[in-house]
Amino acid sequence: MLRGKLSLIHEVRRVSPKNRLNKEFHSWGFLNTGAHFLSLGSRPFLLGCVRTVKTTTWFEEHLTEDNQEYMRKSLGEEYRRQIAEKLCPLKDEPWQRHKWTEGSRRVGLVAVKLGMAPIWTKTGERHVVTMLQVQDCHVIKYLPKEEYDGHTAALVVGGKNASPFCKSQHQMEMYGNAGVPPKQKLTTFKISDNALIKPGTPLYAAHFRPGQYVDVTAKSIGKGFQGVMKRWGFKGQPASHGQTKTHRRPGASGPGGDPAKVFKGKKMPGMLGNIYITAFGLKIWRVNTKYNVLYVHGSIPGHRNCVLKVRDTVLPTRSSTIANPPFPTYFTEEEGDLDEDLYEDNLFVHTEPSLTLT
Amino acid sequence: MLSVSRVKMAFAQLSRSLSRTLGDTPSLILKRQFSVSVVRSAIQKMTRVRVVDNSSLGNTPYHRAPRVIHVYTKNGIGKVGDKVLLAIKGQKKKALIVGHKMPGQPMNPRFDSNNVVLIEENGNPTGTRIRVPVPTQLRNLEGDYSKVLAIASSFV
Amino acid sequence: MAACAKGLDKLRHSLRLLRNTQLHNERFLSTSKGRQSAGSNTEQPPKFVPPSKPVIVDKTRAVASLRKFLSPEFIPPRQRTDPLKFFIERKDMIRRRKVLNIPEFYAGSILAVTMADKNASGKTNRFVGICIQRGGNGLGATFVLRNIIDNQGVEICYEMYNPRIQKIEVLKLEKRLDDNLMYLRDALPEYSTVDPDMRPVPISDTDEVPVNKLKVRMRPKPWSKRWERPRFNIQGMRFDLALSPEQMEHAQKWAQPWLEYDMLKEYDTSKLEEQIYTEVQQEMSKKPLAG
Repeated sequence: MLRGKLSLIHEVRRVSPKNRLNKEFHSWGFLNTGAHFLSLGSRPFLLGCVRTVKTTTWFEEHLTEDNQEYMRKSLGEEYRRQIAEKLCPLKDEPWQRHKWTEGSRRVGLVAVKLGMAPIWTKTGERHVVTMLQVQDCHVIKYLPKEEYDGHTAALVVGGKNASPFCKSQHQMEMYGNAGVPPKQKLTTFKISDNALIKPGTPLYAAHFRPGQYVDVTAKSIGKGFQGVMKRWGFKGQPASHGQTKTHRRPGASGPGGDPAKVFKGKKMPGMLGNIYITAFGLKIWRVNTKYNVLYVHGSIPGHRNCVLKVRDTVLPTRSSTIANPPFPTYFTEEEGDLDEDLYEDNLFVHTEPSLTLT
Repeated sequence: MLSVSRVKMAFAQLSRSLSRTLGDTPSLILKRQFSVSVVRSAIQKMTRVRVVDNSSLGNTPYHRAPRVIHVYTKNGIGKVGDKVLLAIKGQKKKALIVGHKMPGQPMNPRFDSNNVVLIEENGNPTGTRIRVPVPTQLRNLEGDYSKVLAIASSFV
Repeated sequence: MAACAKGLDKLRHSLRLLRNTQLHNERFLSTSKGRQSAGSNTEQPPKFVPPSKPVIVDKTRAVASLRKFLSPEFIPPRQRTDPLKFFIERKDMIRRRKVLNIPEFYAGSILAVTMADKNASGKTNRFVGICIQRGGNGLGATFVLRNIIDNQGVEICYEMYNPRIQKIEVLKLEKRLDDNLMYLRDALPEYSTVDPDMRPVPISDTDEVPVNKLKVRMRPKPWSKRWERPRFNIQGMRFDLALSPEQMEHAQKWAQPWLEYDMLKEYDTSKLEEQIYTEVQQEMSKKPLAG
């Protein structure tokens, strides 16, 4: 059964036309994972002691194989049609564009963490980079000042296509307005008033250019409930010398009589990780425009394949590196002749001959 | 019990014969009478080291191997190019690290022993020759190592 | 007239057939080496090339096939990383391999690596040694060379795709009984001593890589690791000289014989290897060597 299903997916994959390679790689990813939806109508018999009410089913649970195949095919075609429609956003009545001024804030991207790799500079130094792939990243919604917080405008951006079966009607309406497939991840970027983009515009990795600095926000790897030694780096107590049942404990939690309380924010055991963390001021070494891959300096919070948020850095010392960026974003019609790979000036490209140091 | 002792005897004989066969090419590693500290962090206090220059102080046999009693770095860990204070033959002497067992950065050599060169208080080396290869990264480090580099016989 | 032409055609056809059979015969009889020398003879008649020794070739093998070798760093580890990551990395590796010839070698082969070093005299550094370990995958692949210079054991860990590496020569291509020769650190120094001015030992591209069945003698016991433990599974060592049978038996206490039946630990890369091999071969043959 399972094997049949998998082969079916492969077949569908083969059928898909190669409009853009990364689409081919990823727009079908959700079908491998079990997609399910709420089926309130088909509730099982509630007799006696049934306490867990199972309201979720696989979307194909009550479908015949033919129908499943039809659903998959039609969905995939629908997705591809939607994405292809949005490929040329400048043709169909784009919103008015403004010039880049000092201090403008552009929109960011939603990317997927691929993994890490080494790179070398022309002086022979080695750095490690994290590879981030921008998959099916679209602008979903524009929030003007009044709707957002009264101070700045914002853009809602989504990345990585997802199954429509686990989205609510309200959410699907929002995606329908933008005319893009539903996304796994939605984030909001605060933007300046001149950087607004029409919803439905695709965003690419070439939005960022080599040499500039970015901030990356992601959910760190969850470690569960941890003690103070792991969570806060406390020293703990000795292993021996008459210690009884006290080796990894926090010790005292504060002074006694006078405050007569534990101060707020005392470092205690608790859940470690699984919170949003931002890594600031990471340099972009290289951008691959074919597969939409960013090579960002150093390590980045989150596990492999996690969906994260990349934006221009807010660090005042680094923001000067964003000189004349593609504004408000990169459009393929405007700069269609970009190289497949954009490199930082000081980066060693593997097609060059070996280094000779002087 | 008997068999064990016999085996031991056999081993002793074998090692003797081995040393005889290797007599033509004397290897310092076989001659070593102490075990060098394991690779934890490159060189720290109480690390036993090997003096690799031809100074008389470092080469006359003594019942106690030279030990590091202080490392002149902020974190107390010595790497190539750091100065240390040695306890050698019952006296204190400064030395320069020219190689250690712990692997450093890739593309740089790692040695089978913790090597030091004895230096005077003013930084001049005590010996006149270094008998083992010296890492070239010493040249890259700031600090005046030119006199130590001048007495090195080979680089790696 | 037409009949005549037809006859001519037939004749030509038969001639071609004859030539073809000749060619086939040649292929059956001679090795690739012989063919090469013959080719050079036809191009440059004055230069004398001594005829290669006649080699008896197994006729069941139609053509003496080249050794098939895929560098181990091309095989991705077993994890949930997107295959695209390895694909992109592989592209970079192939680009580098087009510039720098990274030859086939194994743990136990003797290599000479020339690397750019701004501190060395002449700005280059050549190190000859025996490869004791290959590690890493993708662009971060490394190998460790070991040699004994002036009675001092020296090891250098090289990054295979580091642009500072200018040349990698294989002086002696051979395998050993183990894939990891880290135990040479605790072996007698003669086993890791290599002459730095060694001449390369030629080996043909079609032969099998010879396996050196050398078993090394160890120094007395405090070793850097307990090599007798089953998890190292070391074949190339004279345990009978270093340890007593009781000690060897005692080491078996740490054996984990159930691990080989653990089906979750199985990682069959043969199919993957085949795919990657064809991909690499195609990419490498796309453009000739640059420069």
